[in-house]
Amino acid sequence: MGDRLTQLQEAVDQLANQFIACFYYIERHHDLELFGPNDKVPDLKQDQPKEVETLAPDAFQAGQLELARDLIVKEQQVEYLISSLPGLDNSERDQEQLIKDLEEELKVAETQRLEAVREKDEVLLKLDQVLRGIRRH
Amino acid sequence: MAANIEEDSSKVTALYPDPPPFWKAFTAENLSQFDSLKQEYADQNGLDADSAVRIPDIPENLNYLQPPPEPTESKWRLFSEPQTLDEELQSLETAGIQRLGPLNETDKDGKHIDRAFELKRLAKSLLLNFLELMGLMNHNPTHGLEKVQDLKTLLLNFHHILNEYRPHQAREQLIQLMQDQLDSKRAETAAIKNVVDKAKRALEGLGSMEIPTAEPKEIKPAHGLTAPPAVNGTNDAGDGPYYWDRESVGWSSLDADLV
Repeated sequence: MGDRLTQLQEAVDQLANQFIACFYYIERHHDLELFGPNDKVPDLKQDQPKEVETLAPDAFQAGQLELARDLIVKEQQVEYLISSLPGLDNSERDQEQLIKDLEEELKVAETQRLEAVREKDEVLLKLDQVLRGIRRH
Repeated sequence: MAANIEEDSSKVTALYPDPPPFWKAFTAENLSQFDSLKQEYADQNGLDADSAVRIPDIPENLNYLQPPPEPTESKWRLFSEPQTLDEELQSLETAGIQRLGPLNETDKDGKHIDRAFELKRLAKSLLLNFLELMGLMNHNPTHGLEKVQDLKTLLLNFHHILNEYRPHQAREQLIQLMQDQLDSKRAETAAIKNVVDKAKRALEGLGSMEIPTAEPKEIKPAHGLTAPPAVNGTNDAGDGPYYWDRESVGWSSLDADLV
């Protein structure tokens, strides 16, 4: 799983792929129609590859519906990813300020931590002495 | 020269290309000569032999033995691809793509809400344009190509805005990382303080118990182990048994801590 931007990029690429898939589906499975009295569906020989694989009208409709729904879902996913991009409210200056503040806070926290460690060592030493004293009794 | 280039290009198409021409420069003689030159140069300039990377004014035939000079400008070629020191995002205009959104100035105070809004608009446009493409293919397939071009422009614009956002996200990730570090540091400090406080309390407790133990110390062996529990139930108010009671509690807590 990549970061949000990469996810978004992939989602958009998938959307584009879905466009192509939809196009292919319709192009491949539509029915043949006559537009004028002079048109006629050419008779294909047995060994000639078929141009279209016509689906039954309701199956074709159902396929279209499903593809369209997938497109919408993917588009919504893209929009969701856009609204969850990190730091939409921050400008570059805000970010720099935030980074500086955090740096300071980190320094303070580090000194506090070292202080606590030192205190811990002291108490440990004291406790050690007390325990030794008790053992001697 | 032209013949040379043609020869070279024919070599590239061969299965295994020839080794680069400078392999012939690496003779044992040249290598030892180069080493001595390097040593000499290092001695002259008071450098360590390993830290002297390039020797100026080297004989022509030894030139291949040392690394090429650092690029003077921030541009160089790598595998015949031009490289620059600071990677800049190619603008849409230079790539020959129509810009659909407003030009985003790299304004330091600019918020990125607008950019997200722009992305959403592009996403919706993508869907709409695809619908239009489908309609066009239904009625007039010859115009389909233009719509496909529109879709392409939309997609490229989308990716461009997205890539413009990347530095922003990188900074955002840095902030997140620092925040996490800060949190873990503070948690560690708090945990240490907690343990220290506990230990201090235990020490204080021990201290308050130890002072009275000095007095009945001699009695302890006489009483034996059975004596304190026997007194426990009968009399808590008496001074002696009370101390014993407290001491046994202290010892058991110490035992628990030690185990």
